[in-house]
Amino acid sequence: MSEQQKTVLVVGGGFSGLTAAVETAEAGFNVVIIEKTPFLGGRVTQLNKYFPKLCPPNCGLEINFKRIKNSGDISFYTLAEVEKISGQEGNYDVTIKQNPRFVNDKCVGCNACNEACPVEMPNEFNFGLDKTKAAYITHNQAFPFKYVLDSKNCKGKSCAKCVEACKYDAINLDMKPEAVNLKVGAIVFATGWDLYDVTKLDLLGGGKIKNVITNMQMERLASPNGPTSGKILRPSDNKEVNNIAFVQCAGSRDENHLPYCSYICCMASLKQATYLREQYPDSKVQIFYIDIRTPGRYEQFYWKVKEDPNVTLTKGKVAKVEEDPATGDVLLTVEDVLLGKKITAKFDMVVLAAGMVPSTRTSKIPTDISYTNDGFVVPASLKKGMFAVGTLKSPVDVSRSVQDATGVAIKSIQSVRRSI
Amino acid sequence: MAEATVIKPDLDFVKGVIEGGGDSLKKCYQCATCTVVCNVTPEDHPFPRKEMVWAQWGLKEKFAGNPDVWLCHQCNDCTAHCPRGAKPGEVLGAIRKQTIKQYSSPSFLANLVSSKGLVWLVFLIPALLLGAILSVDGTFIPNEEEIKFSYFAPTLTIQAVFVPALTFGLLVGVLGLMKFWADMKKAAGVTSGDLGGSISATAKEILSHVKFKSCGVSADRFTSHFLVFYSFVMLGIATALGVLYIDIMHMESPFRFGYGTPVKIFGLIGAIGLLAGVFLMISNRFKNAEKVGIGSYFDWLLITIVGVIMASGILSWVMRVAGIAGVAYTVYFIHLVFVLSLFLYLPYSKLAHMFYRSAAICFLKYSGREKK
Repeated sequence: MSEQQKTVLVVGGGFSGLTAAVETAEAGFNVVIIEKTPFLGGRVTQLNKYFPKLCPPNCGLEINFKRIKNSGDISFYTLAEVEKISGQEGNYDVTIKQNPRFVNDKCVGCNACNEACPVEMPNEFNFGLDKTKAAYITHNQAFPFKYVLDSKNCKGKSCAKCVEACKYDAINLDMKPEAVNLKVGAIVFATGWDLYDVTKLDLLGGGKIKNVITNMQMERLASPNGPTSGKILRPSDNKEVNNIAFVQCAGSRDENHLPYCSYICCMASLKQATYLREQYPDSKVQIFYIDIRTPGRYEQFYWKVKEDPNVTLTKGKVAKVEEDPATGDVLLTVEDVLLGKKITAKFDMVVLAAGMVPSTRTSKIPTDISYTNDGFVVPASLKKGMFAVGTLKSPVDVSRSVQDATGVAIKSIQSVRRSI
Repeated sequence: MAEATVIKPDLDFVKGVIEGGGDSLKKCYQCATCTVVCNVTPEDHPFPRKEMVWAQWGLKEKFAGNPDVWLCHQCNDCTAHCPRGAKPGEVLGAIRKQTIKQYSSPSFLANLVSSKGLVWLVFLIPALLLGAILSVDGTFIPNEEEIKFSYFAPTLTIQAVFVPALTFGLLVGVLGLMKFWADMKKAAGVTSGDLGGSISATAKEILSHVKFKSCGVSADRFTSHFLVFYSFVMLGIATALGVLYIDIMHMESPFRFGYGTPVKIFGLIGAIGLLAGVFLMISNRFKNAEKVGIGSYFDWLLITIVGVIMASGILSWVMRVAGIAGVAYTVYFIHLVFVLSLFLYLPYSKLAHMFYRSAAICFLKYSGREKK
């Protein structure tokens, strides 16, 4: 069997893609990972802690990065996207577009370019909670630990302040997008998920009210490498948050938005309740829900959080969110279903437990695949030798994505061997 | 342990709600979005979330003497925002239909009006009744050259049929209202209150249509209901003036005075207002149809009756003025049949909301439940 035929392409360098890649490579096959963003690790890198062990992202990610570095069989492209796929199982021709990083392998991560860069832009990694420079690295654990110049915001040669500042000759403003052709035996799609656009939730004030944030923004606020170095402060005035509300099903289980349960948002809010409770001993948390959904053994975590007298769980979906313009506090209106009364309550900050949207809802894979109305991949429609992992098929948590990716590794190995 | 509560579901009630336009009932998963987006619900005892679960479970007794379903003005903000397509606004409409059926007697008439399959009989009865009475003199289409509706239907005959019909409708409605009122008092444990003050406050609320103004997605319901409501008031005044001219002043219709006189002014404005109002009501239903649906049989029965009254009223006048006798008399007959239907079925059709909604609004004030 040729080396090309032995190669599995993994599209997406998040936790699923990395798992599929290392499992496949460690069984003796070549793997190429391509990742759209400048860094590997995906959504997990943006979390403060993740289920089931509630450890920070580098537990889990670090070992996978190490496995990639140690394996001679894995290569990866960041800032790369699939442009074209042709061929069939065992013999796929894939054209990828390698976008320029403008930073080469000489980068040591000294941060001089960042300091010299005059261009500020919203920090996408922190979901716009702060700003970053056009020469940047997302966080201190980023992999590869190489800076990147944002092609949309960088002024290029007309500025070039970073080039002057870099002592290592690591910046090259002449880099251009390149097409790379790969020959692979099988393809694993692991392009993950996006957060539902909360500005569509007009009843919930998403994107309009300063102190109404998303659950992913809450992860960044609590994360030691986030915009507030892990201190949970509300966006409008950096006040400590002592009184927080979580609005469950922000988009999910709603035929007007996402007609499915996003699986993990209830657990995420319960988890985030503990972030606040651990940080501020007198803080109060109220979670407004339709049903608290705790898949499988997560139920026990729910019991634990529920025992905290400062955590209140209120049955009733929030459908009105207003800002108190004088204080920046947030007013929620909800029917407390168990009381049978319509109540309005005031909070320092409100977290919308926004749902999960498959990345394929907006960016379709350039090959013939069927999708559900919501953009999930219909697995049966994939050609032989193509596989979809994790949140591309249904909203799931990290551990189930990992299990799925491990299963897909063996499937892709079988596929490659079949076509010898 | 607390005493066990035995739930006795009334499956016929559930079936009635489902068949009456509430077929989306079972989709509700009790998230309470509806209650929050509703601008007309009171904050204590808010609706429609609790009504949805009561109706799902067939807890018919919860609706006896319950004013809340009648506080709903069917703006359908709840339906527009419902995450499950459970259409609380439509379900509450179907529950109200059940309440109307429950409170209005005799029950065979209530069943007749609420049964879609019997729609032919609904109109056949007044048509036969009126046909029989009018054909007593033997000439159905008069031979005289001038078109006079009184040739066809003598004023006295009209009064002898329509006054008792309206009296019957109003009486049955008021009886139902009184039963409902007693049930509301019993359910709320209220024994006394300021009835006079509550009635005048209720009249003010109804006349100003203030509740309709808070509707969100269907804000134009205010306009359509306002037009239909006040057009009926105008037409009622015109009718009263007609009675005055004929019975007191002994004039003969059609009155030989110009269009600038009160009876004509009220009649014309009423007719035009009704035309606009009914048109708006129908077009609004189609405008919101994607999310709400176009409404139930019960809704459309009333729209049809009012619409045909309006259209046949205008057309018979036009035909009379144009001198086309055959059409004028036929259309006038249809007009009479539908007006008779409106009167006879007043307490059984959706129009009965005038009794129950007024009573519910009044009870809220009477019982002191409404926050000042």
